[in-house]
Amino acid sequence: MTALEISGLRKTYTDDYSGEEVTAIDEVSFGVEKGEFVSVLGPSGCGKTTVLNIVAGFVDLSGGTVVVDGRPVAGPGPDRGVVFQSHALFPWKTAYGNVVFGLRMRGVPRTERDERAREYLDLVGLGGFEHRYPHELSGGMQQRLGVARVLANEPAVMLMDEPFASIDAQTRRKLQEDLTRIFESRRPTVFFVTHDVDEAVFLSDRVVVLSGRPSRVRDIVEVPLSRPRRWDEALALPAFRATANRVNELLAGDEDDAGHLDAVS
Amino acid sequence: MTTVSAKPVRTTARPPRPAPLWRRLVRTGTFRTLGPFVPVIALWWLVAALEVFPESFFVGPPEVVDKLGELLEKGILPGYLSDSLTRLGYGVGFGLLIGLPLGYAVAMLPRLRRFCWPILLFFQAIADIAWLPIVIVWFGFSLTSVTFVLVYTIVFPLMLSVVAGVEQVPRELIRAARSLGAGRWRVFLEVIVPGALPSVAGGIRTGLGYGWRALVAAEIIVGTSGVGFMMFDARRVGDISQVFLGMAVLGALWYALDALILAPFERATVERWGMVRRLEADG
Repeated sequence: MTALEISGLRKTYTDDYSGEEVTAIDEVSFGVEKGEFVSVLGPSGCGKTTVLNIVAGFVDLSGGTVVVDGRPVAGPGPDRGVVFQSHALFPWKTAYGNVVFGLRMRGVPRTERDERAREYLDLVGLGGFEHRYPHELSGGMQQRLGVARVLANEPAVMLMDEPFASIDAQTRRKLQEDLTRIFESRRPTVFFVTHDVDEAVFLSDRVVVLSGRPSRVRDIVEVPLSRPRRWDEALALPAFRATANRVNELLAGDEDDAGHLDAVS
Repeated sequence: MTTVSAKPVRTTARPPRPAPLWRRLVRTGTFRTLGPFVPVIALWWLVAALEVFPESFFVGPPEVVDKLGELLEKGILPGYLSDSLTRLGYGVGFGLLIGLPLGYAVAMLPRLRRFCWPILLFFQAIADIAWLPIVIVWFGFSLTSVTFVLVYTIVFPLMLSVVAGVEQVPRELIRAARSLGAGRWRVFLEVIVPGALPSVAGGIRTGLGYGWRALVAAEIIVGTSGVGFMMFDARRVGDISQVFLGMAVLGALWYALDALILAPFERATVERWGMVRRLEADG
């Protein structure tokens, strides 16, 4: 069953300085199955985050359709929880307060809230930290809390916008493994935006490679790796390297015809 | 299933380091509060003792302390103090009741804001004291007049700080709340109100400070009682030590207000949440 269906997505806007009509996204179409992990990858400034913002309902689309669980997207909603690069945790709420936020908004009774908060804090390894405020947690813990906050709300799809980009390389590896474990145990539907090829291949079932502006889908690459996945095993697999190379080639092909964009962004 | 085996980090107790006596003394709260005043009072005492100015213009600490004792004994100072604080209480109470909702309304409603902004700036420019002549005509030499000026003084900086605070709330926090199922009203209550608090707390502090000064000025002009009146009345009869005492009381009272109400409020909220840096980094 399809959880998220994007078809013929277009986004144009008027440049504030030149007054010209700019096409940021031109004909992007792909779907995400229920329980599937799909990454969207592209050169910087290609509008992959714009695609996520449109799915989240933060930004209006100019053309095409975005359908989540059979309903066209109109504005933000709890069926599409977002994990942000900046974490976007509520500083005035404890870890517990952050995790139950969505449940409170949706009127889930207190006993059930407590139960689910405990469950998801444990899931992301934050059991025992429920009374800490976000600034008392490390960057990695904050991002795991961001994941727990979304998953506790049981969205149709979890949207992740370069969630590990601002985290140091070693912690990032660890968080990627944590996310894989969580995904493998719960099978949420995940839409993941990144510019890191290895990250996309390691985490995903499929990788959507976008071209530079205006964005189109260059290709969709299946990742032929079994689960559970671990970094040390994955790196040793020829299939991992081959898939990463294939994705890199697709991206490099993009630089040939739109290489000047790198200088701009 | 627990996927990560992280345990709560325990803060390890630092090995006790023997600190010299003076350093331990310097670290105490009392010293931190009163210490900086020691050189100020010493200088004041010195200037008075050297009789740089004639005694009828400038008195030293002992005279002021004597005066304090006398006025406490007679019950004049406590009476005037409670008058001043009652006025401040009314002014601040009404100021917050009017300024906070109005500030949030102007910040949240772009149309209201476009309409109100020029008016806000216009009235902000009319100094609080400049209202006194007309206020006295309207309300006479009454508590209403003083309260009016106080409220006026507090409302504008408060409103401006609320607007600034609302603008400072990160857009992603609002987006996060919306995508977790919060409607616009819940976003306002759960995200914008607390998110604006660092700036609002600053605005309350500024407003209170302005209000405190305006109160004294109003008491001097309108007053029939209060600390400001006491000082001005003392000047008329040439009681310089009472004027000095009034000034010391104003400063001390503001300091107490800050230490007993404002600072604990900020410690319990915006500092606790890591939204502002603590003034004193290490305790």
